[in-house]
Amino acid sequence: MTTLQDQLSATLFQTKQLPVSRAWLSTFLTTSTSNRQIPLPALTQTALFRILNSDIRETLSTINPTSLLPRNITDPNTKETRLQGPIPLQVLDIEDIGSSLWSQVEAIERVERGEAVRGREIVRTVNVEGREEGLNGNNNGSGGNATGGPHRLTFQDAAGNRVVGIELHRIKEIGIGKLSIGAKVVVGNAVVARGVVLLTPDCARVLGGKIEAMDRVWKEGRKMRLKARVEEMESGELGINRNRNGDPMEE
Amino acid sequence: MTSVLGHLTGLDFESAYRGWGSCPPGFLFEAPVLDEVGKEKRAIAENIQEQAKYSKGLLIWTDCDREGEHIGREVRHQARKGNPRIQTKRAKFSNTERAHVLRAAIEPIELDERQANAVAARIELDLRIGAAFTRLQSLQLQPLTPILTNKTISYGSCQFPTLGFVVERYLRVKRFKPEKFWGIKVMHLRDGIKVNFLWNRVHLFDRAAVIIMLERCLTAKQAKITKVNQKPTSKWRPLPLTTVDLQMMGSRYLRMDGKTVMEAAEKLYTKGFISYPRTETDQFDKAIDLKKLIEKQLPDNNWGGYAQGLLNGNFRTPRSGRHNDQAHPPIHPICWVSPTELNANEKKVYEFVVRRFLACCSEDAKGQTTEVEIQYGDEMFHANGLIVLERNYLDVYVYDKWESSQQLPNFQMGELFEPTEARIFDGKTTPPNYLTEPELIGLMDANGIGTDATMAEHIAKVKDREYVATVSRRSGRSSVQELIPTRLGIALVEGYDNVVVGLPDSPSLSKPFLRKEMELRMRDICAGTKTKQQVVHESLEMYREVFIHTQRRIEMLKSACRKYIVEQADS
Repeated sequence: MTTLQDQLSATLFQTKQLPVSRAWLSTFLTTSTSNRQIPLPALTQTALFRILNSDIRETLSTINPTSLLPRNITDPNTKETRLQGPIPLQVLDIEDIGSSLWSQVEAIERVERGEAVRGREIVRTVNVEGREEGLNGNNNGSGGNATGGPHRLTFQDAAGNRVVGIELHRIKEIGIGKLSIGAKVVVGNAVVARGVVLLTPDCARVLGGKIEAMDRVWKEGRKMRLKARVEEMESGELGINRNRNGDPMEE
Repeated sequence: MTSVLGHLTGLDFESAYRGWGSCPPGFLFEAPVLDEVGKEKRAIAENIQEQAKYSKGLLIWTDCDREGEHIGREVRHQARKGNPRIQTKRAKFSNTERAHVLRAAIEPIELDERQANAVAARIELDLRIGAAFTRLQSLQLQPLTPILTNKTISYGSCQFPTLGFVVERYLRVKRFKPEKFWGIKVMHLRDGIKVNFLWNRVHLFDRAAVIIMLERCLTAKQAKITKVNQKPTSKWRPLPLTTVDLQMMGSRYLRMDGKTVMEAAEKLYTKGFISYPRTETDQFDKAIDLKKLIEKQLPDNNWGGYAQGLLNGNFRTPRSGRHNDQAHPPIHPICWVSPTELNANEKKVYEFVVRRFLACCSEDAKGQTTEVEIQYGDEMFHANGLIVLERNYLDVYVYDKWESSQQLPNFQMGELFEPTEARIFDGKTTPPNYLTEPELIGLMDANGIGTDATMAEHIAKVKDREYVATVSRRSGRSSVQELIPTRLGIALVEGYDNVVVGLPDSPSLSKPFLRKEMELRMRDICAGTKTKQQVVHESLEMYREVFIHTQRRIEMLKSACRKYIVEQADS
């Protein structure tokens, strides 16, 4: 008979392609089953929820190389290659490359002012009850309404390797304000061109979740980063050399 | 039979409160007010009293809108002074066609007290709020600099949001940062025609991504036709003309500002050439005989022939918009007038009204579009062609443009071909333009600032007060008048915005929100869900709160004025 740990591990791998770290799983089991008997489906759900909201470098296994990014995947000299996978990744950064940076700054500022535009009409979005919200107002990314895209994402695998992906075909779960930083995406059988993963609904499965601390920092700093990049462009360097290592989530 | 000239009475504070130093400005929210017949209207009021003495009944024919209802009530008030037992009725009419007018005379109705009350509320609110803020800001700001010493720095609840729109756009233009973008252009040469396919993504702001996408197109070599669509299309004739549209079109095509357009229209109306020019209605009543109105235009040298064509079978029932103010029909010509009898502005406005009317009664323009879509690599591109087959209304409505484009050669669905050229292009984002008057009218309309009758006046007011100036972009025939705030205009908006910074539920006076709420309350009075007293009280409370904040944080307003007027004038 298989152990509870094996069962959980197998279910999460088969249904979500997540190779869970044995060490993490055993800690998880000792802390959550110590008191009473929990049915397996409920336990699986709890484990999944924890993983989706964790840093996969701590929760996923790095033993099997097929679930990690190949070393040379980001090589810009490779015109085309294929990523077998499935590889679980977490989102470190997301940008809308279909809209200008400045229009995104303007949209954020409109939200900060508590306004929204409906055609020619300006509407107030400030809640009239005046609910308690920090003075800097947790300006939900860009106010909920997801941007147009396509999006450019920076991913990280369980071993900490990074890769950039571009939303080649619309993926409905991807959007600023929709997809959080730290969200989990499983990529399998994807085309990689010049070191960039071409994301389509067929090769990218969005599991969701987030890493709360990173997400908060990312949101708070988004307007500043956008403005900084606009200024950088203004001072002559027209944003060409930011494409690689352009990741603001450097620890 | 006698007449009036606008409102008979005016509301003002009792004399003890009229002097600017007579009381703290905040007192004006509750200082006693009087309704008095204005000096220049006294003769009119006396005439009505006099005439009433010898009459049994009074039939009021003021315009059938809110203001008209209020004026009607003023007339009744004067008439009763002369004859307390006089019976009063009002005629309900929306155009001056004979049959319609006769019917209105036979079936008079009662004055609508609610609408009159809504106007009374609006008058009282405008007086109190306007006077309180005007005095406060004038008294506080005048001492700052000699430039302002003798200036009345007026405030109006419509004026300020109007100014706010101009300033907001100005600052957007000033703060704008251009950015580079990249895209892919595909060209294919077939049958001697260069077909340019446009990228469905238009352009992206990431050069590396575009290069990768282009490389994948080139690697794929062949493009595939995924859609060939030929379908009839039409360009719709315009909707019946409303005041807002007349003002917007007027400034766009006739090179006149809204106020000038309205003055000309007003004159044309009083001379009986066009219908009442203040209307929100964009649908013609079924009862109105449009063909008879078209017939009147036959003598014209320019469009007489076109009008004849309509009568000979080209006539179509006009489209109906969604607005009906229940008071006036869309603006239309009543009879033909020889151009020699009109001045230059009247001529332009008259011509526009007639052409628009004839266009409304015409068939849509017809054409055929061809849409070809291709998949090339992972990317989609498209090309469109248009052939205009029948111009119809466009022949008379010279303001609309719709022209055939380049013809597309034959493409077969599913066909594979190697495009002649595919390359990357780049460009830069450009700032928005400064606000133009038609845009401003559109914004005011969408945000409930002013009515169709008053919008042009509010715009003229912010120009008069030197909060806003007009500047020409480009010159000659293609010139466009743009609205740019003055330093004082910017200072006031920034000052008021700063006054409410950090206050959770106090929108700035430069925003349309408070005024819009007030407007909604006026409608409540008309609907009978609120009384005049309630509305006056609620609206005053709303503005009084901002007033208190402004007094407390007056330093914000002063420092904005110092920043823009004192310091920038020195440098």
